[in-house]
Amino acid sequence: MRADLLTRAWLTLLGLSLGSALLTLVPLRPALLGAGILLLALIKARVILARYLDLSGSPAWLRGFTMVLSGFTVLIFGLYLI
Amino acid sequence: MSDTSLIDELPGELLMWVLIISELLVFGAGLVAFMGVRLTDPAGFAEAQSHLHRTGAALNTAILVTSGYLAAQALHWRRAARRFAARLALLAAAALGVVFLIIKGAEYADKSAQGINFETHPFFMFYYLLTGFHAAHVLAGVGILLLVTWRDEPRNIEAGAQFWHMVDLVWIMLFPVIYLLG
Amino acid sequence: MKYESQKVAYAYFAVAMGLFAIQVTGGLLAGWIYVSPNFLSELLPFNIVRMLHTNALIVWLILGFFGAAYFLIPEESEREIHSTKLAYLQLLILVVGTLGAVLTYTFNLFEGNWLLGKEGREFLEQPKWVKAGIVVAALIFLYNVSMTVLKGKKTAITNILLLGLWGLALLFLFAFYNPGNLSLDKQYWWYVVHLWVEGVWELIMASILAYLMLKLTGVDREIVEKWLYVIVAAALFSGILGTGHHYYWIGTPGYWQWIGSIFSSLEVIPFFAMMAFAFVMVWKGRRDHPNKAALLWSLGCATLAFFGAGVWGFLHTLHGVNYYTHGTQITAAHGHLAFYGAYVCLNLAIFSYAMPILKNRDPYNQVLNMGSFWLMTSGMVFMTFVLTFGGTVQTHMQRVVGDYFMDVQDQIAIFYWMRFGSGLVVVIGALLFIYSIWVPRKEVIEPGAAKTPAE
Repeated sequence: MRADLLTRAWLTLLGLSLGSALLTLVPLRPALLGAGILLLALIKARVILARYLDLSGSPAWLRGFTMVLSGFTVLIFGLYLI
Repeated sequence: MSDTSLIDELPGELLMWVLIISELLVFGAGLVAFMGVRLTDPAGFAEAQSHLHRTGAALNTAILVTSGYLAAQALHWRRAARRFAARLALLAAAALGVVFLIIKGAEYADKSAQGINFETHPFFMFYYLLTGFHAAHVLAGVGILLLVTWRDEPRNIEAGAQFWHMVDLVWIMLFPVIYLLG
Repeated sequence: MKYESQKVAYAYFAVAMGLFAIQVTGGLLAGWIYVSPNFLSELLPFNIVRMLHTNALIVWLILGFFGAAYFLIPEESEREIHSTKLAYLQLLILVVGTLGAVLTYTFNLFEGNWLLGKEGREFLEQPKWVKAGIVVAALIFLYNVSMTVLKGKKTAITNILLLGLWGLALLFLFAFYNPGNLSLDKQYWWYVVHLWVEGVWELIMASILAYLMLKLTGVDREIVEKWLYVIVAAALFSGILGTGHHYYWIGTPGYWQWIGSIFSSLEVIPFFAMMAFAFVMVWKGRRDHPNKAALLWSLGCATLAFFGAGVWGFLHTLHGVNYYTHGTQITAAHGHLAFYGAYVCLNLAIFSYAMPILKNRDPYNQVLNMGSFWLMTSGMVFMTFVLTFGGTVQTHMQRVVGDYFMDVQDQIAIFYWMRFGSGLVVVIGALLFIYSIWVPRKEVIEPGAAKTPAE
C-alpha cells in the first residue's frame, strides 16, 4: 500500500462524510435523501475495505465484500421506503 | 486447490477476517432488525431519532476515519522501519479513539439526563444496543492499539489495525442508518 | 497403539458404552410413558426417567470425551500420559458420583439435606457431594492431561481440546450457585448447559473431528489446523452471546431477544464449517484408511450436527418464532437430533476408530458397525421428523388456537406412537453398535484379496 493512496483514501472519506452531512441540510424528498446517504456510506465502506484493510490487492475478495454490502444497503433502503 | 489460494490472498491473519466477517454479520443483522421494527412505528422512530445529536455523531465519523488512517499509516511506517513514527501514529489513533468515546459518553449522559433508557422506546433499545456494542469495540480497539504500540512487530500492528478498521467500517454503516434515515 | 497409557481410554469407553445402553433404554421408557402416561407413575415417575435419560447422556458423552483425550493426547504430544493411576482414580470418582446421583434421585434419599440430598434443579440436580466429586475428578483430569501436553509436543488439536476441556470444567462451577430466585437460577444454569453444548463442547468436537480427519484421510496437518482455528473462532463468537436465546421468557430485559436471536442464528456457521471441513478433507484425502466405519461415523457426525444443531436449532431460535414454539415438541426434535448428531456420533466415531486399536483387533466388524449407524441414524432422523410434525400441530393447536395442553396431547398421540417406534429402532441400533465393538472376533464379510488395503 503506497502512502499517497492511503492519504487520498483518508481525504476521500472525510469528503464523503462532509457530503452526507451537507446532504441532510438540503431539503430533498425522503427517498432521494435516503438513497444519497446510503450510497455515500456504501462508497465509504468500499474505500475502507480497499485501502485501509488493503483488499485492493485481492480483487475477488473486494468484489465479494462489495456485493454483500451492496445487497445489505439495498435491503436497508427497501425497508426505509416501505 | 483454488479455495486455499483464495484464502491465502487475504492480507494478515485469517482469524482477523473471520472476526471481521462475523462482526459485519452481527451488526448487519442488527441494523436490518432495526429497520424492520421501524416499520411497526415509523412516526415514533422519527420522533425518537430527533433526540439524537447528529453533529456529534458526524464529528465522530471524521474522528474514526482519521484514526483509521493513522493506524493504516502506522503499519506502513513500521514496514518501512520507521518504528518511532509508527508508534506515534498508533498512540494518536488510540487517542482519537478515546475522543470518540468521550463524545459518545456525553451523548449517553445527555440521553440519561432526559430520562431516556433501554425501555423508553424500541428505537432507543436498538440505539443503545448497537451503538453501545460498537462503543465496546472502540474501547477494546483502544486497548489493542496500545498493546501493539508496545509489542510493535509488523504482524501485530497489522492485526490491531485490522480490528480498528473493522470498528471504523461498522460505524460507517451504523451511523447513517441510526442517525440519518428518519 | 503407540503408547501404553492410551489403554486408559479403554476403561473410559467401556463405562461410556454401558451408560449409553442405560441412557437409550431410559429414553425408550420415557417414550413409552408418553403413549401410556400411567406406566410406572408410582414407582419411577416421568421426571426421574427423564433425568436418567438426559443425565446419563451427559455423563457418558463426557466420559467419552475424557477417554478420547486420553487416547489422542499421547499420540499428539508424543509421550505417555502423566499418570495412569490418576486417570483410573478419576474414572472411579465419576462412576461413584454417577451412581450416587442416580440412587439419591430415584429413591429421594436424604430429602432436604444440604450435602447429601438432591438439589431438584433440572440437569443440575446432583447432590452437593457429587458436584464436589465431579470438580475433583475434573481437576485430576486437567492436571493429568495438561502435564502431559506441557511436557510433550503441542499441536493445534491438543491446544483446542485442552481449551475446551478447561472450559468444560470451569463452567461447571456455576452449578454450585443456586439462587433462590427462579429467573436467576435459570440464568446461571444456562451458563453451564448452554456454554457447554453450544460453546466449549464444540471446541472438543472440532478437535476430535480434526484428529479423526487427520488419521483417516491423511490430509496435511497444516490444512486441518487452519480449518480448526476458523471453526473454533466461529463457534465462540456465536455461541457465547448466543446464550441469549434462552433468556427470552425468563424475565430478563427485552434486548436479550435481539442479542439472542442474532448471535444464536450465527451458531449455524461453525456447524456448517465442520460439515464442509469433513467432506473437503475426505475429497482431498490421499489415504484410503481401512476403518470405513469410523469415517462413516465422522461424516455422519458432521452432517447430522449441521442439520440437528444448525438447521433445527435455527428453526426456532428467532424470538418471534420461539414465542410460539417454546417448550413444544419442536424443542424435543431439535434436542434429539442435535445431541445425536453432534456428540453421540462424535463419540461413536472415536470409539469405532480407537476400540479396534485398543483391543489389538483387526479387522473391525465394519458391516455390523456400519449397519448400526444406519439403524440408529434412520431411527433418529425419523424421530426428528415425527416430533417436528407433532410439534407443529401442537404449536398451532395450543399456542395459536389456544386449546388446553392435555387436549392437544391427546390429539398428537399418533406422533408419540411413531416416536416410540423410531426410538425402538435407535435402541436396537445402539445395542448392535455395542455388540459389534465388543463381541465378534471375525469379520462378517471376509474382504477379498483385491480389496485389501495397500497400507
